Amino acid sequence: MPMKGRFPVRRTLQYLSQGDVVFKSSVKVMTVNYNTAGELSEGARKFVFFNIPQIQYKNPWVQIMLFRNMTPSPFLRFYLDNGEQVLVDVENKTNKEITEHIKKILGKSKEMLEKEERERKKLSHPATFGPKKYHLRECMCEIEGQVPCPAVVPLPKEMRGKYKAAMKNEA
Amino acid sequence: MSVPRGAIHAKWIVGKVIGTKMQKTAKVRVTRLVLDPYLLKFFNKRKTYFAHDPLQQCVVGDIVLLKALPERRSKHVKHELAEIVFKVGNVIDPITGKPCAGTRFLENLSDSENLTEADTTYLSEKLQELKVCSRDK
Repeated sequence: MPMKGRFPVRRTLQYLSQGDVVFKSSVKVMTVNYNTAGELSEGARKFVFFNIPQIQYKNPWVQIMLFRNMTPSPFLRFYLDNGEQVLVDVENKTNKEITEHIKKILGKSKEMLEKEERERKKLSHPATFGPKKYHLRECMCEIEGQVPCPAVVPLPKEMRGKYKAAMKNEA
Repeated sequence: MSVPRGAIHAKWIVGKVIGTKMQKTAKVRVTRLVLDPYLLKFFNKRKTYFAHDPLQQCVVGDIVLLKALPERRSKHVKHELAEIVFKVGNVIDPITGKPCAGTRFLENLSDSENLTEADTTYLSEKLQELKVCSRDK
Protein backbone atom coordinates (compact mmCIF):
# COMPACT_ATOMS: atom_id res chain seq x y z
CA MET A 1 0.00 0.00 0.00
CA PRO A 2 2.06 3.02 -1.22
CA MET A 3 1.94 6.47 0.42
CA LYS A 4 -0.11 9.22 -1.20
CA GLY A 5 1.45 12.11 -3.10
CA ARG A 6 4.16 12.78 -5.66
CA PHE A 7 7.29 12.17 -3.57
CA PRO A 8 5.89 10.80 -0.32
CA VAL A 9 9.40 10.07 0.94
CA ARG A 10 9.47 13.75 1.87
CA ARG A 11 6.90 12.95 4.52
CA THR A 12 8.97 10.38 6.38
CA LEU A 13 10.77 11.11 9.65
CA GLN A 14 13.93 9.51 8.30
CA TYR A 15 14.03 11.92 5.34
CA LEU A 16 13.26 14.92 7.53
CA SER A 17 15.98 14.09 10.03
CA GLN A 18 18.50 13.68 7.19
CA GLY A 19 18.57 17.43 6.64
CA ASP A 20 22.00 18.73 7.59
CA VAL A 21 21.35 22.48 7.61
CA VAL A 22 21.08 23.67 11.22
CA PHE A 23 21.04 27.47 11.36
CA LYS A 24 23.02 29.50 13.83
CA SER A 25 20.96 30.89 16.68
CA SER A 26 21.07 34.41 15.22
CA VAL A 27 18.93 33.48 12.18
CA LYS A 28 15.30 34.33 12.92
CA VAL A 29 13.43 34.51 9.61
CA MET A 30 14.04 32.94 6.23
CA THR A 31 12.17 34.23 3.18
CA VAL A 32 12.15 32.45 -0.17
CA ASN A 33 10.99 34.29 -3.29
CA TYR A 34 10.60 32.07 -6.32
CA ASN A 35 8.53 31.68 -9.47
CA THR A 36 6.26 28.83 -10.42
CA ALA A 37 7.39 28.89 -14.07
CA GLY A 38 10.67 29.49 -15.86
CA GLU A 39 14.07 27.83 -16.12
CA LEU A 40 15.79 30.29 -13.77
CA SER A 41 13.63 29.32 -10.81
CA GLU A 42 13.92 25.58 -11.39
CA GLY A 43 16.53 25.09 -8.66
CA ALA A 44 14.56 27.28 -6.26
CA ARG A 45 11.39 25.28 -6.91
CA LYS A 46 13.20 22.00 -6.22
CA PHE A 47 14.72 23.55 -3.10
CA VAL A 48 11.27 24.52 -1.80
CA PHE A 49 9.80 21.14 -2.68
CA PHE A 50 12.55 18.91 -1.26
CA ASN A 51 14.72 20.84 1.18
CA ILE A 52 12.46 23.29 3.00
CA PRO A 53 10.74 20.50 5.04
CA GLN A 54 14.15 19.24 6.15
CA ILE A 55 15.30 22.71 7.14
CA GLN A 56 12.12 23.53 9.05
CA TYR A 57 12.28 20.18 10.84
CA LYS A 58 15.79 20.87 12.05
CA ASN A 59 15.08 24.53 12.89
CA PRO A 60 11.58 24.65 14.36
CA TRP A 61 12.00 28.20 15.69
CA VAL A 62 13.00 29.83 12.42
CA GLN A 63 10.06 31.42 10.61
CA ILE A 64 10.07 30.38 6.94
CA MET A 65 7.93 32.34 4.48
CA LEU A 66 7.45 31.51 0.82
CA PHE A 67 6.54 34.13 -1.78
CA ARG A 68 5.54 33.08 -5.29
CA ASN A 69 5.70 35.17 -8.47
CA MET A 70 6.46 38.47 -6.81
CA THR A 71 9.74 39.29 -8.55
CA PRO A 72 11.27 38.01 -11.78
CA SER A 73 14.43 36.77 -10.09
CA PRO A 74 14.43 34.08 -7.40
CA PHE A 75 16.28 34.76 -4.15
CA LEU A 76 16.50 33.84 -0.49
CA ARG A 77 16.63 36.39 2.30
CA PHE A 78 17.64 35.79 5.90
CA TYR A 79 16.87 38.17 8.75
CA LEU A 80 19.35 37.90 11.60
CA ASP A 81 18.99 38.87 15.22
CA ASN A 82 21.23 41.94 14.99
CA GLY A 83 19.11 43.50 12.24
CA GLU A 84 21.35 42.27 9.44
CA GLN A 85 19.79 40.91 6.25
CA VAL A 86 21.50 38.37 4.02
CA LEU A 87 20.39 38.25 0.40
CA VAL A 88 21.18 35.07 -1.56
CA ASP A 89 20.60 35.04 -5.31
CA VAL A 90 19.59 31.55 -6.46
CA GLU A 91 19.06 32.14 -10.14
CA ASN A 92 20.38 29.24 -12.25
CA LYS A 93 21.46 27.21 -9.23
CA THR A 94 20.45 23.64 -8.45
CA ASN A 95 18.81 22.89 -5.13
CA LYS A 96 21.91 21.04 -3.94
CA GLU A 97 24.08 24.09 -4.60
CA ILE A 98 21.62 26.29 -2.71
CA THR A 99 21.67 24.05 0.38
CA GLU A 100 25.46 23.83 0.32
CA HIS A 101 25.73 27.60 0.07
CA ILE A 102 23.41 28.38 2.97
CA LYS A 103 25.01 25.65 5.06
CA LYS A 104 28.36 27.32 4.47
CA ILE A 105 27.24 30.88 5.25
CA LEU A 106 24.65 30.45 8.00
CA GLY A 107 24.75 26.85 9.17
CA LYS A 108 26.31 25.49 12.31
CA SER A 109 29.55 23.69 11.58
CA LYS A 110 29.93 19.96 12.14
CA GLU A 111 32.19 20.48 15.18
CA MET A 112 29.62 22.72 16.84
CA LEU A 113 26.85 20.17 16.25
CA GLU A 114 28.96 17.37 17.67
CA LYS A 115 29.86 19.49 20.69
CA GLU A 116 26.17 20.20 21.36
CA GLU A 117 25.40 16.49 20.99
CA ARG A 118 28.04 15.64 23.58
CA GLU A 119 26.72 18.29 25.97
CA ARG A 120 23.23 16.84 25.69
CA LYS A 121 24.57 13.30 26.30
CA LYS A 122 26.32 14.49 29.47
CA LEU A 123 23.02 15.54 31.02
CA SER A 124 21.50 12.05 30.99
CA HIS A 125 23.15 9.11 32.76
CA PRO A 126 22.91 5.92 30.70
CA ALA A 127 23.23 3.54 33.68
CA THR A 128 20.04 4.55 35.50
CA PHE A 129 16.60 2.97 35.18
CA GLY A 130 13.24 4.68 34.98
CA PRO A 131 10.52 6.04 32.63
CA LYS A 132 11.40 5.87 28.93
CA LYS A 133 11.27 9.66 28.65
CA TYR A 134 14.25 10.19 30.95
CA HIS A 135 16.18 6.90 30.97
CA LEU A 136 17.34 4.30 28.48
CA ARG A 137 15.82 1.26 30.18
CA GLU A 138 13.01 0.75 32.65
CA CYS A 139 13.98 -2.41 34.48
CA MET A 140 16.93 -4.76 34.87
CA CYS A 141 14.84 -7.56 33.36
CA GLU A 142 15.14 -5.92 29.91
CA ILE A 143 18.88 -6.69 29.70
CA GLU A 144 20.02 -9.99 28.19
CA GLY A 145 21.69 -12.30 30.67
CA GLN A 146 19.78 -10.94 33.67
CA VAL A 147 16.86 -12.53 35.46
CA PRO A 148 13.85 -12.32 33.07
CA CYS A 149 10.71 -10.46 34.05
CA PRO A 150 8.52 -12.55 36.35
CA ALA A 151 5.49 -11.31 34.42
CA VAL A 152 6.71 -13.34 31.42
CA VAL A 153 8.57 -16.27 33.02
CA PRO A 154 7.80 -17.35 36.62
CA LEU A 155 10.75 -17.05 39.02
CA PRO A 156 12.31 -20.30 40.30
CA LYS A 157 11.09 -21.38 43.72
CA GLU A 158 14.31 -20.44 45.54
CA MET A 159 13.96 -16.75 44.57
CA ARG A 160 10.35 -16.34 45.62
CA GLY A 161 9.71 -14.60 48.94
CA LYS A 162 6.96 -17.10 49.82
CA TYR A 163 9.39 -20.06 49.64
CA LYS A 164 12.20 -18.22 51.44
CA ALA A 165 9.85 -17.24 54.30
CA ALA A 166 8.58 -20.85 54.57
CA MET A 167 12.19 -22.15 54.73
CA LYS A 168 13.07 -19.61 57.44
CA ASN A 169 10.01 -20.57 59.48
CA GLU A 170 10.84 -24.24 59.18
CA ALA A 171 14.44 -23.73 60.36
CA MET B 1 -1.00 48.32 37.48
CA SER B 2 1.18 46.43 35.00
CA VAL B 3 1.57 42.74 35.77
CA PRO B 4 5.17 41.68 35.10
CA ARG B 5 4.96 39.41 32.05
CA GLY B 6 7.59 37.23 30.43
CA ALA B 7 9.91 38.48 27.70
CA ILE B 8 8.50 38.67 24.20
CA HIS B 9 9.40 35.48 22.34
CA ALA B 10 9.38 36.52 18.68
CA LYS B 11 12.18 39.03 18.18
CA TRP B 12 11.94 39.52 14.42
CA ILE B 13 8.99 38.41 12.33
CA VAL B 14 7.83 38.91 8.75
CA GLY B 15 4.14 39.15 7.99
CA LYS B 16 1.45 40.60 5.79
CA VAL B 17 -0.59 43.62 6.85
CA ILE B 18 -4.27 42.80 7.03
CA GLY B 19 -5.69 45.86 8.74
CA THR B 20 -4.84 49.50 9.28
CA LYS B 21 -8.07 50.78 10.77
CA MET B 22 -6.42 51.42 14.16
CA GLN B 23 -4.57 54.65 14.69
CA LYS B 24 -0.79 54.19 14.41
CA THR B 25 -1.20 50.41 14.66
CA ALA B 26 -1.08 47.77 11.96
CA LYS B 27 -2.64 44.34 12.22
CA VAL B 28 -0.14 41.85 10.78
CA ARG B 29 -0.73 38.20 9.95
CA VAL B 30 2.32 35.99 10.42
CA THR B 31 2.44 32.45 9.03
CA ARG B 32 4.76 29.77 10.27
CA LEU B 33 5.19 26.22 8.96
CA VAL B 34 3.96 23.69 11.51
CA LEU B 35 4.39 19.93 11.13
CA ASP B 36 1.21 17.89 11.23
CA PRO B 37 2.10 14.93 13.51
CA TYR B 38 0.21 12.27 11.52
CA LEU B 39 0.69 13.41 7.90
CA LEU B 40 4.25 14.64 8.56
CA LYS B 41 3.61 17.55 6.24
CA PHE B 42 4.14 21.24 6.94
CA PHE B 43 1.14 23.53 6.88
CA ASN B 44 0.92 27.29 7.36
CA LYS B 45 -0.38 28.30 10.74
CA ARG B 46 -1.45 31.91 11.05
CA LYS B 47 -1.22 34.26 13.98
CA THR B 48 -2.05 37.93 14.11
CA TYR B 49 0.22 40.46 15.74
CA PHE B 50 -0.34 44.15 16.33
CA ALA B 51 2.54 46.41 15.39
CA HIS B 52 3.18 50.05 16.21
CA ASP B 53 3.36 52.13 13.06
CA PRO B 54 3.87 55.77 14.08
CA LEU B 55 3.81 57.25 10.55
CA GLN B 56 0.84 55.12 9.42
CA GLN B 57 2.70 54.21 6.26
CA CYS B 58 1.35 50.65 5.96
CA VAL B 59 -1.34 49.73 3.47
CA VAL B 60 -3.32 46.51 3.57
CA GLY B 61 -1.32 43.89 1.66
CA ASP B 62 2.22 45.08 2.44
CA ILE B 63 4.81 42.55 3.53
CA VAL B 64 6.50 43.98 6.64
CA LEU B 65 9.31 43.13 9.01
CA LEU B 66 8.43 43.60 12.67
CA LYS B 67 10.84 44.02 15.55
CA ALA B 68 9.95 43.15 19.14
CA LEU B 69 9.78 46.14 21.46
CA PRO B 70 11.89 46.01 24.64
CA GLU B 71 8.69 46.21 26.70
CA ARG B 72 5.01 46.02 25.77
CA ARG B 73 3.54 49.22 24.43
CA SER B 74 0.03 48.20 25.41
CA LYS B 75 -1.80 45.01 26.25
CA HIS B 76 -1.63 43.65 22.68
CA VAL B 77 1.01 45.73 20.91
CA LYS B 78 4.43 44.11 21.49
CA HIS B 79 6.11 44.84 18.16
CA GLU B 80 6.95 47.81 16.00
CA LEU B 81 7.38 48.24 12.29
CA ALA B 82 11.05 47.80 11.35
CA GLU B 83 10.77 48.04 7.58
CA ILE B 84 8.35 47.43 4.73
CA VAL B 85 9.88 44.56 2.75
CA PHE B 86 7.51 44.66 -0.23
CA LYS B 87 5.09 47.51 -0.76
CA VAL B 88 1.88 46.38 -2.43
CA GLY B 89 1.76 47.50 -6.06
CA ASN B 90 5.32 48.81 -5.86
CA VAL B 91 7.54 45.75 -5.46
CA ILE B 92 11.24 46.45 -5.95
CA ASP B 93 13.37 43.49 -6.97
CA PRO B 94 16.25 43.53 -4.45
CA ILE B 95 18.73 41.92 -6.83
CA THR B 96 18.46 44.50 -9.61
CA GLY B 97 16.81 47.32 -7.68
CA LYS B 98 14.20 47.87 -10.38
CA PRO B 99 10.44 47.98 -9.92
CA CYS B 100 8.68 44.83 -11.04
CA ALA B 101 5.24 43.26 -11.10
CA GLY B 102 4.84 39.51 -10.99
CA THR B 103 7.47 37.89 -13.19
CA ARG B 104 8.27 40.87 -15.39
CA PHE B 105 10.07 44.13 -14.87
CA LEU B 106 8.07 47.32 -15.24
CA GLU B 107 10.79 49.38 -16.86
CA ASN B 108 13.03 48.45 -19.73
CA LEU B 109 16.22 46.92 -18.36
CA SER B 110 18.43 47.59 -21.40
CA ASP B 111 19.71 51.14 -21.78
CA SER B 112 18.52 51.61 -25.39
CA GLU B 113 17.45 55.27 -25.07
CA ASN B 114 20.79 56.61 -23.84
CA LEU B 115 22.97 55.18 -26.60
CA THR B 116 25.45 57.55 -28.26
CA GLU B 117 26.45 57.58 -31.98
CA ALA B 118 29.58 55.54 -31.29
CA ASP B 119 27.53 52.91 -29.43
CA THR B 120 25.00 52.51 -32.26
CA THR B 121 27.70 52.16 -34.95
CA TYR B 122 29.60 49.65 -32.80
CA LEU B 123 26.44 47.58 -32.24
CA SER B 124 25.44 47.64 -35.92
CA GLU B 125 28.95 46.44 -36.87
CA LYS B 126 28.61 43.55 -34.46
CA LEU B 127 25.24 42.68 -35.97
CA GLN B 128 26.78 42.68 -39.48
CA GLU B 129 29.43 40.22 -38.33
CA LEU B 130 26.73 37.91 -36.99
CA LYS B 131 24.87 38.03 -40.30
CA VAL B 132 28.05 37.00 -42.17
CA CYS B 133 28.55 34.00 -39.88
CA SER B 134 24.99 32.72 -40.41
CA ARG B 135 25.34 33.00 -44.25
CA ASP B 136 28.53 30.88 -44.16
CA LYS B 137 26.62 28.10 -42.48
